[in-house]
Amino acid sequence: MISVWKRELQSYFYTPVGYLFMGVFLALSSVMFYLQILSQRSSDLLTFMGQISYLWMLLTPVLTMRLLAEERQKRTDQLLLTSPVSLTGIVLGKYLAAVTVMVLTVLLTMVYALIVAIYGQVYPGELMVGLTGFVLQGCAFIALDLFISGCASNPVSAAVMAFGVNFALWILDMVELSVTAPWLSGVLSFFSLYARNEPFLMGQLSFASIGFDLSFAAACLVLTIHMLDSRRYRGG
Amino acid sequence: MIELKHVTKRYGATLAVSDLSFRAPEGQIVGLLGQNGAGKTTTLNMLTGYFPPNEGQVLVNGMDMLHNPRECKRCIGYLPEKPPLYDEMTVEAYLRFVCELREVERRAIVAHIGEIMAICGLTEVAKRLVGRLSKGFRQRVGVAQALCGNPPVIVLDEPTVGLDPRQVVEIRELIRQLGKTHTVIFSSHLLSEIQQLCQRVIILHKGRVIREADMAELTDGGDKVRLRASIAMNEEKLLPALKGLDCVCRVKVLPATEENITEVELECDARSDRGDPQTQLFRLLCGLDAPLRMLAPQRDTLEEVFLRATADEA
Repeated sequence: MISVWKRELQSYFYTPVGYLFMGVFLALSSVMFYLQILSQRSSDLLTFMGQISYLWMLLTPVLTMRLLAEERQKRTDQLLLTSPVSLTGIVLGKYLAAVTVMVLTVLLTMVYALIVAIYGQVYPGELMVGLTGFVLQGCAFIALDLFISGCASNPVSAAVMAFGVNFALWILDMVELSVTAPWLSGVLSFFSLYARNEPFLMGQLSFASIGFDLSFAAACLVLTIHMLDSRRYRGG
Repeated sequence: MIELKHVTKRYGATLAVSDLSFRAPEGQIVGLLGQNGAGKTTTLNMLTGYFPPNEGQVLVNGMDMLHNPRECKRCIGYLPEKPPLYDEMTVEAYLRFVCELREVERRAIVAHIGEIMAICGLTEVAKRLVGRLSKGFRQRVGVAQALCGNPPVIVLDEPTVGLDPRQVVEIRELIRQLGKTHTVIFSSHLLSEIQQLCQRVIILHKGRVIREADMAELTDGGDKVRLRASIAMNEEKLLPALKGLDCVCRVKVLPATEENITEVELECDARSDRGDPQTQLFRLLCGLDAPLRMLAPQRDTLEEVFLRATADEA
C-alpha cells in the first residue's frame, strides 16, 4: 500500500495534476477570501470555509480522475494486479495519495487564518472544528469520485462523471429545501454531504457528522474494491 | 513449478479457454503457440493472477493462486502484451517502484536495479523518462520490471510484437539468457521464434491445448518416420511394391528431377515388427534390383506440426 501511495503522490507532481488542483483551489479560495473576509472586514473564517467547501465539488474530480481510470485505459493495472499487493492495498494507497494532496492544499490555506489572526481575532478551537469538517467533507468527495474513476474507462469520462455526480449531490441539497414531504426531506438531508457539514460551520464538533463522513468514505472505498474485484472475475 | 488444471475462462457468453491443463517444468523455456484469438493472453493472464479462472486451478509451486495470491505472485514476473509502464517516471524510478511493489528489501533495491538494468541494457537510459523511450527500449523496461524481485518464473506475452528486426534479435537473445536462470513461459504466434527459443511447446487452438511436447519430440514425428527416397525405377512398378511394405503408411510421389528416377516421401511406422523402415526399404529395393540413389529421414518443421495439429482440430 505504501509503495502505491508513494507512487501516486509523486505522480501528482510529476504531472501537472497536483499543481493544477492546488493552483486552482488556492486561486479561487483567495478570491473568496478577499470577497468574504478582506473586503467585508470580517474575521468569520467558518462562513468562509462553508463557502470554499463548494470547491470540492468542482476540484476533487481532478484529483481522482486518473487514479483508476487511467490504469484501466493504459492497462498498467496489469502490473498492480499481478504484484503481491492486495486490491485493498491498491485502492487505499491511491485514496490516501489524493487525501494527502488535499490536506497539503488545506494546510496552505492556513495563510488566510494567519492574515486574520494578524489583523483580527481567530478562535483556535473554532478554527480546528471548521477544518475538521472541511477536510472530512473533502475525504468523502474523494472516496466517491475514486469509485467513479474505477467505473470509468478513461480519465476524461471519469472527471466528467464525477463532476456530474458531485453536482447532482449539490442539487439534491437544494431540492431538499423545497420538498414539502418531511420524510423525503429527512432522507435527503441525511445523505447530504453539505448539510452534514453545517454543525462544523457553527463551531460544533459533531460526532454524528464525523461518523457519517467517515462511513460514507469507507462505504465508497468498499464499493470500489468490490467493483474492481468483480471486474477481475469477469476477466478485466 | 507452474501447473494449470482443467482451467476454463468465459467472457460473458464467450468461451475463451476451455478445460486447459498443462505444466511448465522448472528451468525450461516453454512456448505457448497459437493463432490470434487462440486463448494465449487469457491463459497467461490467469497464470499470473491478473484474473481468476471460472473453473479449475492455477498452481504455482504447489500453491493455489486463488488461495495464496501473494505467495504465488511473488514467484512470477509478468510482461503483458502491452508493457505496463508509467510514462511520467524515469526508468530508474519506475523500476524502484516495481521493486517496492514486489517487496524487495529496501537496502538491496539500488544494487538490484543496477543489476537488472545491466542485464536488460538499460543503464544508459536510467535517468530518461519512460514516455520518451523508443519501442525497443520500452519493451526492455517491460522485461526489466518482470525481473524485479528476482522471481523464478518469467511470463512474457508476445514480447517481440511490433519491434524492428534488430530489436527482435536483441529481445530473443535476452529471453535465451533468462532461460538459463529462470523458468520462462512466453507466447507467440511466430513459429520460428518458438522453434529458436523453446525447449517445450504447448499448442493452443480455440481455447484448448491440442499438442504439448518437448520441441525435439514434436518435430521428430513420434511413432512415425518420414523418409525421402530417390530410386532409379519406373513409378508404375515401384509404387505397388512400396505400398506392399508392412511399415509404409503413406506414399507421396514428389516431382522428379531426373528421367527414370522416382522421388518419393514415405510415412512409415517406426515400431514395425519386421525391423526399422530404412532396412525394410533397402531389402525391398535389393529384391527389385532398383538402385537407391538417396535416402534421408525427414524431420517435421514446427510449421508443419502446427498446421497439421490445427487442421486436425478444425
